[in-house]
Amino acid sequence: MDGADLELFERSLRHATERHTGAALDAALEELGWREALASDPHAAVSLLFELQGAANVTSSALDHVLLAGIGSVEVAGDNAAIVLPALDPNPVLASTTRAEREFVGEETTPPGSLDGDRLTVRGLGTAALPRCETAVVVAAAAGAIVAVVVPTAALTLRPVGGLDPALGLVEVSWESIAIDTTPQPITTWTPAVAAAQLAVGHELIGASRTMLDQARNHALERIQFGQPIAMFQAIRHRLADTLVAIETADAMLDAAWLDQSTQTAAMAKALAGRGARLAARHCQQVLAGIGFTTEHPLHRSIRRVLVLDELFGSARSLTRTLGDELLTSRQLPAVLPL
Amino acid sequence: MELDEFRASLDRWLDEHHEALAPDHPGLGTLDDQMAQLAKVKRLTYDADWMRWGWPECVGGLGGSTLLRAYLGEALTTRDLVEPGIYSMTEVLAPTMIDYAAPELAATMVPRLLRGEETWCQGFSEPGTGSNLASLSCRATRTDEGWSVTGQKVWTSLAQYAQRCVLLTRTGTPESAHRGITALFVDMDTPGITVRPIETMHGAPEFSEVFFDDALVPFDRMLGDQGQGWSVAMDLLPFERSTALWVRAAYLHRRLQQLLDVARPGALDPARVGEVTQIVYAFRARSRATQHRLHAGEQLGPETSIDKVLLATAEQAVFDLVADGLADAVTIGDDPVSQRWRSEFLYSRAATIYGGSAEIQRNIIARRLLDLGSDR
Repeated sequence: MDGADLELFERSLRHATERHTGAALDAALEELGWREALASDPHAAVSLLFELQGAANVTSSALDHVLLAGIGSVEVAGDNAAIVLPALDPNPVLASTTRAEREFVGEETTPPGSLDGDRLTVRGLGTAALPRCETAVVVAAAAGAIVAVVVPTAALTLRPVGGLDPALGLVEVSWESIAIDTTPQPITTWTPAVAAAQLAVGHELIGASRTMLDQARNHALERIQFGQPIAMFQAIRHRLADTLVAIETADAMLDAAWLDQSTQTAAMAKALAGRGARLAARHCQQVLAGIGFTTEHPLHRSIRRVLVLDELFGSARSLTRTLGDELLTSRQLPAVLPL
Repeated sequence: MELDEFRASLDRWLDEHHEALAPDHPGLGTLDDQMAQLAKVKRLTYDADWMRWGWPECVGGLGGSTLLRAYLGEALTTRDLVEPGIYSMTEVLAPTMIDYAAPELAATMVPRLLRGEETWCQGFSEPGTGSNLASLSCRATRTDEGWSVTGQKVWTSLAQYAQRCVLLTRTGTPESAHRGITALFVDMDTPGITVRPIETMHGAPEFSEVFFDDALVPFDRMLGDQGQGWSVAMDLLPFERSTALWVRAAYLHRRLQQLLDVARPGALDPARVGEVTQIVYAFRARSRATQHRLHAGEQLGPETSIDKVLLATAEQAVFDLVADGLADAVTIGDDPVSQRWRSEFLYSRAATIYGGSAEIQRNIIARRLLDLGSDR
């Protein structure tokens, strides 16, 4: 897509995300051909939708589609399938642990399932779309290989997640060593699929961060203290400037990750987006001050959203620590994107 | 010439001519060493045409995308053939000459800069004029023979080596602020000019004070018209924040890799290594996007302040990590390699001060990009 096509597509997506969320947004996305766009122009489809979704604080099943597209063609019954997301980092990296103790944290994100013979154990999360789908795909580690298993959603134990951001509608998924009656399908693209999901969540973090910055900027211009808008004070201006720098920094890295298609660049971009969003939350809440601490102002929704999104597919903290460990072992910086 | 072809053939040429291009001095060398090395590399690359690509034909260039220039700077820096700061003066000053000097003057002078026959400096800052550039007071008075310049500049990089200076002068009333500034292209051997290098903390006398005492500058050495100096300065600054920064990103990447090569096990905190690497790569990604906007013919503006903030952040992050990982070299080492790490660590402290301080960049971002209104 380029030029007029791209502009029209973005306008349609903006229209959809500003008006709908959840199942209604899924229907709107289906109608405007987002899934076809995901197949033909994933960069445009993912970067535009997820940034808008983050900006509008809405949910959809788009992340399921990104991950499903990433793992390739898995035969599922019908079109109506969700995918189980990896659990949050089960053992957050502590500075005191040694590399050997954390071997499982490696470059590969641990898949949500583990398959022992025909018995499947699942610890993961689902998007708000998962309870609405008849089948769920579980990516699982099985005797040195990665496989996908299709299970009926109704069979999984689901806990609706309230937590920090109830509006995100996550569910916690578990399944304890239960025999499966479908054939596991081998997957060779789990790592790139995770990278694609990291980019999607990265764009969503950017969208939410831009919304927080807009809200703080408007407040700074309207709020009068000492006879002038607080936007006149350099302490306020520099917080907002730093927020924009953090957002643009992460955005530039996301673009680079789309260009070089490296899973390492995607992980760095996700980490920068997560760290940038946390900085945006801190600065914007400080600028919005009292009103930004209430539920009367919408800021809290974006703060909740970014704090949870940062944890999905590796938090800024754990991705950064993992990168550092790899670099200190290999002593070789990642390949650079040429000019 | 396309970038891919340029890259491949330049890389091959640099490999083949490594011996001729390599510095004669060990380690960082003195500033004299670095200047001699810079002149040599510029002459060799100009004579082999590499240095001419990406510059317009009217100043002796061979045309082609600005990306070619950016890649040349990256390749020379990555091979440790030039010090990136002094190399990049060309990227800042040549575009200004091309845009604002009389065509014959630009055609005569720019090739001398590109070929390394001359060094130019940039006379902007004054003792009373740091961040507030529009308040400058170095005075140019109209006489029958030309402009007579009297006043003082400071922080003028490489002035003691320079044959020419792009100089901002006050030609309007003291109250005329940015409207009363005129840019001049001054021969540094003009009677009445005195240069005094400044001893800085990092050990290289890179900056100077320059004193003007009735120095006479012919009228045909005006850059732009009388009173247009502010535009000259404003158009120059984005160049200071584009190609020069791309070259600096290549340098930071190289030094970070060299730190990983030599740091002892356990000397570096993995979380810091990860974060610094992310910042360096993001700076490079941002700077790359800026290079491609320049290539596409876009006018660069205040958004390059984000690039400058990122440079300063990345440079200080890399050398903070150096100070952690090579603490002994930085604090008590006296061999050439240690001296280089120490000098670069100390110079990185200036990254939030020079070229528009960290505070000035954030003021620009707040006013021009976030539209928060004037703060004055």
